[in-house]
Parts: sequence; C-alpha cells; structure tokens
Amino acid sequence: MSEPVISLENVEVHFENERLLDFGNDPETVRAVDGVSVDVAENDVLSLVGESGCGKTTLGKTAIGLQRPTHGSVKYRGHDIWEIREGNSDADLEWSDIRTSLQIIHQDPGSALNPNRRLLSILSEPLRQVNPDLSKSEKRNRIYSLLERVGMNPAADFADRYPHQLSGGEKQRVALCRALLMNPDVILADEAISALDVSLRVEMMDMMLDLQAEFDTSFVFISHDLSNARYFSSHGNGKIGVMYLGQLAEIGPAEQVINEPQHPYTEVLRWATPDLSLDDHGEMPMRKIDIPDPINPPSGCRFHTRCPKAREACTRANPTAYEHGEQRVACFREDDTHEYWDSPELTDD
Amino acid sequence: MTQSHDQHTEHIAVDDPIIEVRDASVTYDEGTSYVLDGVSLDLGRGEILGVVGESGSGKSMLASALLDAVPDPGLLSGTIEYHPDSGAATDILELDTEDLRALRWEEISMVFQGAMSSFNPTMSLRKHFVETLEAHDEDVEAGMDRAHELLEDLYLEPDRVLSSYPHELSGGMQQRALIALSLVLEPEVLVMDEPTAALDLLMQRSILLLLDDLKEKYDLTMLFITHDLPLVAALADRMAIMYAFRLIEIGQTEEIINHAAHPYTRALLNSTPNLDAPLEEMRPIEGQSPAPINMPDGCAYHPRCPLAEDQCRTEVPDFHIVAGDHGSACFNWRESYDEIELVHLDDGERAIPEGDRQ
Repeated sequence: MSEPVISLENVEVHFENERLLDFGNDPETVRAVDGVSVDVAENDVLSLVGESGCGKTTLGKTAIGLQRPTHGSVKYRGHDIWEIREGNSDADLEWSDIRTSLQIIHQDPGSALNPNRRLLSILSEPLRQVNPDLSKSEKRNRIYSLLERVGMNPAADFADRYPHQLSGGEKQRVALCRALLMNPDVILADEAISALDVSLRVEMMDMMLDLQAEFDTSFVFISHDLSNARYFSSHGNGKIGVMYLGQLAEIGPAEQVINEPQHPYTEVLRWATPDLSLDDHGEMPMRKIDIPDPINPPSGCRFHTRCPKAREACTRANPTAYEHGEQRVACFREDDTHEYWDSPELTDD
Repeated sequence: MTQSHDQHTEHIAVDDPIIEVRDASVTYDEGTSYVLDGVSLDLGRGEILGVVGESGSGKSMLASALLDAVPDPGLLSGTIEYHPDSGAATDILELDTEDLRALRWEEISMVFQGAMSSFNPTMSLRKHFVETLEAHDEDVEAGMDRAHELLEDLYLEPDRVLSSYPHELSGGMQQRALIALSLVLEPEVLVMDEPTAALDLLMQRSILLLLDDLKEKYDLTMLFITHDLPLVAALADRMAIMYAFRLIEIGQTEEIINHAAHPYTRALLNSTPNLDAPLEEMRPIEGQSPAPINMPDGCAYHPRCPLAEDQCRTEVPDFHIVAGDHGSACFNWRESYDEIELVHLDDGERAIPEGDRQ
C-alpha cells in the first residue's frame, strides 16, 4: 500500500456551545466527531453515510483541513496539516499547497458561485492560482474543453452565462469543474448530489467518476443515502464509512458493507433505503425515531438507546472497532466471548 | 404494430373517487405556455396515491390546482370535483373564498416540504394549533386533545413539542409536528408535496411508516407528491407518473414497478440508484425534459424516446389500457417491454408474456 493522501488518527472535534443568558454554567460541549481514524488513499472513493447530525460533514471538513480537530491528528502525505498551517513544521510543504490540493463542493452550489461573474471568469480564477503563466487563450481553451467534458455544450455559450442562468445540475457541474481546475488530490463532495432529482444522480456520479480517473483525484463523498454511497464507492473501488453520533459504527469495502452489514445501525440504514422490491419492509427496526442530542450522547455504545439488538452490556462500555474481514465494526456482537451475550436485552418500558 | 387493437381512454377512473380531476390545465402568458396540461386523475377514497415527477414536471402545480391555489398570474381551467363521504359533490373551482378557506383545512389539508417555512418562527407550537382551531371555529379544548393524540401517533412528546418554538425542534420533529397540525381539523384528504425531501433517509422512511399508520387510524385519503419513485413505492397503493406537465402513466404500484408500460417510466426506474440492481446496468435518462415554452408537438417525451415514430411526433397519445386500471399514454407501450428492460427485475421476470398483459 502506498502512503495515504490523508490520514486521520483518533480525531475529535468538540464544539463549545456557549449558551446565552446562562452565565453560571459550564458551556455545553457538542461532540461532533469523537475518536475517528480513517485514511484516504490515492484515487480513493470514501463515502461517509449517516443521519443528519451524525458528524459526517464535520469529519469531512476536518479531513480537508477546513476544521481544526480538538484532539488527534490530520496528516497530508505524512505531514501534520495543522503544524504546517501554524508554521510549526520543518516539512517542505506550504499550507497554500495543501489547501489547493484539498477541495470541496457543497450541496448548494448556487451559494458558492459568485452571482455577478460569468462562468468564464469564475473558472479562470482557479487556473490563475495554479498556473499563473497560462495565456488568456490557453485558459479559455482549457475551460471550454472541461465544460464540454461535463456535458455543457456549446461551451462558449455556457462560459458566457451567469450562475442564475443555470439549472441546479449545471451549477453543480460548474462547482465540480472549478474544483478540478485546481488539480486537487482530494475533493470533498458534501451532499453534492442530494439536491438533484433522483433521476439525475446517476449521471452526476458517473461524471464525477469519469473525471476522477482523468484528473487522478480522490473523493470523500458525504451522503445520507446508502444507495448513492454504494453506487459511488463501488464504482470507485472504495469504502463506505457509517457514522453514528460522531463515531464510525462500521467501515469497509462498499459492496461488503451493503451486502453483509455487520453493525445493527448499518442494517437500519439499509432498511431505510428505498428499493424497488416491494417486499413488506415491516416494522421500523429501531426503538426510537429521533437521534439523541450530541451534547449529551448516551453512555456506553451510543446506539444502545435505539438499537434493536441492544443489551445491558451495551450501556456500560463503548465498543472499540473489531476487525471483521476487511470491515471494521464497533459492536460487541463481533466478539463471541463478550459479556454482551449473557446480559439481558434492553427494553424501553 | 398492434396499436389498432388497443383500447384507449382519456382517463383511468376508479370506483369510488373522493376527488375527480378533469382536464386540469394551468397556463401563463395568456395561454401560450402550459405548466399543467390537461391532467385527468381520480383519487380513490381511502387510497394512497403517489404522484411522481422530476423537477419542473408540473407535479407541484397539480397539488396547488387541487386546492385552487395556483400562484398568480396562472390561469387554472378544467374541473376538480370533491365528493365528501355524505352530501353532494362540489366543484372546488366554483367555490367562493369563504367556502374554499373552510374546505382547505377541514376537508383537504396540505403539507409542504420544509416545515420551517410553514411555521411562524415567533409562535410556539401550541399557539399554531390553537390559532388553527380558533380560525375554524372549533372547540379548542377538544381540538387540543386531538393534537395530543396526533403528536403521540407521530412519536413526539406532546407537552414538550407544544411548548417549543419551531427552531427548537429538529427537522424531522418539525415535519412530524406539521403533519399533526394538518390533521387537527380532521380532514378527509391529506395532500403532501415532497413532505420529507429535506430530511435524511432514515427519517423519511420512518415518517412514511407513520403516515401509513395514520391513514388506517383516521381513515384518510392521501396524495403524496415526490421526485423519489422508490421512496413512495413503499407507501402508495397506486402511482401516477408525470412528465412535462402531463400525466403519462397510472396504475397499481406493483404494476408500475414491475410492468411499467411507458418508455419514460421504464427509463426512470432504471436511472434510480438502489441497493439491489446490478451496478453496471443503472443508467441515466439521455437528454432533458422540455421547458413550458418549448413543448414538442405530439408526445412530449418523443425527443428522448428510443421508440419514437411519426405518430408520436404529431399526436398526443391518450391512455392505452395495459391491464385493468393500468394506463399508459404511449402508442408503443408493448414495444417498450422489449426495448427497455427493467434492470431491477431478475432476468427470468423481465420478459412479460404478452397474453398476461391484457
């Protein structure tokens, strides 16, 4: 295995939530990410899935150096990003180089594109940063060919438009082009296809995967939709990481996580993913609908308050990750000899 | 070609409709552009009908039309008859303002995407319920008892939710509270336009299960509008597919999923990422749907359709009867079975014996 592009080790991101008009008490701590280790390899496609509030966006932003971890390390090709950023590293790397290598596209591309500039101008900016010596016509040619590549024909016509003259899908393609023109090592796609119609998602993912091969880049793909994560990560030979309340419940090769989910929470997400089989999907496999407050996460295994398989033992200790083939699973059920098996089932009455 | 033997009809009727939509159109620009184009549709009493369409297919316009709430300066034509459990039918488009206001909450209630924009951020949830009850001259005490029960039905803690302001609740809680509010005046029909679209999948699926329970408990009829075909397939009894401001296919959910008989519906099914279909067979639909000012002649899907022929370019197809109450607005629906295989079905299920389809 070659060295990972990004390596996160035991990363924690805790936010102090200062409460107005509540001076006497200690500030509340939101444990958005709480002890996650994960690598992003060259040409990797890592999908992070989970509910709203599970910490997947915070983890993604931490991985590309936009969010500072309160504990643990984030390394870019072996060098600690935050030491470089603060000038405490003797590595032969500048923060500005790393920042260029790690790009992001958002769920709402409209808000990330300057409404007062035409696409040609919006897309010239990254080229100017990466290749200051390019002539004007070279820049234009590159932009036109990339626009054509993402299906925006005729490119000259599109390049002359303002963002408001584009559909949602077209804006997202422009955001992707802009990220790619920086020649990045990693692109964080934060719910980048969630706002598109279901019927347009495959097309957008195919395009991202095609361009990945061409531009030699990795993706961190954040989604609440397991079927999109499967499509994206399986095609890119990557992994799916399932997050729950700031922690990785399960991570492994995409098809294995989908077809042989080991963690009860992954099974719940699988249940929640619509398919076309029309089988009766039966009762909700969770004991509670709403995710607990990350300010005060449950003791023990964080999923025990909703888990259909929770037992008494799950309330006492937080399971660390067990190896299961190529998967890593944070659940006591992986250990045949664990006291879990002898402890009574949890009920809500 | 076997077209001449096909039975066809202008609309697929049901036995006991609670709402009958006939030839509903919405035009802008003095009738030059249609954003809803001659839709005829029955909503059966007690059923859940899923209406599926992409952005800009006219599905939200259909929801607005049902309650005569088309945004200005749109012009709505056609008839929309409401058949209450007892009493005479009324054409919703003939009602005066006062009667329409009563009908909108007490008979037919609506839930939209994004609860935050439906709530007043400066009012507690309790006040929303009380004001709604008062505005319709309902007994507030009895109404609040119903509110408690509805909130519990939706897995919410009534006292906590009622004393909260909207922003103090999570997105999933807000949307469930909004559903409870929409049912507090005991309507017969609940119309929902992308009611779960802004939520994560787990919450969407949970809400769908709860809607199914509510439908049984309160004898509701539901119309659920979405772009997400697989999502609503788990809930709906029947499905109606819209394309370019028209209804193009309607039938029992099982029929639509396994025997879709319109090339667009079949392409739509194949373009949907899911956990079961072989990865390499999922593919996007080529091309784009037309804008209202640029509607092609004939079948609006013909520029994208692999089966299009001369007739499709000049004539708008009405509903060809595929089987029972399954209708497809396509001249070549039979050919679509062979031409466009459904990738989510196992190989053995894909070929449908012709004899079984009529």
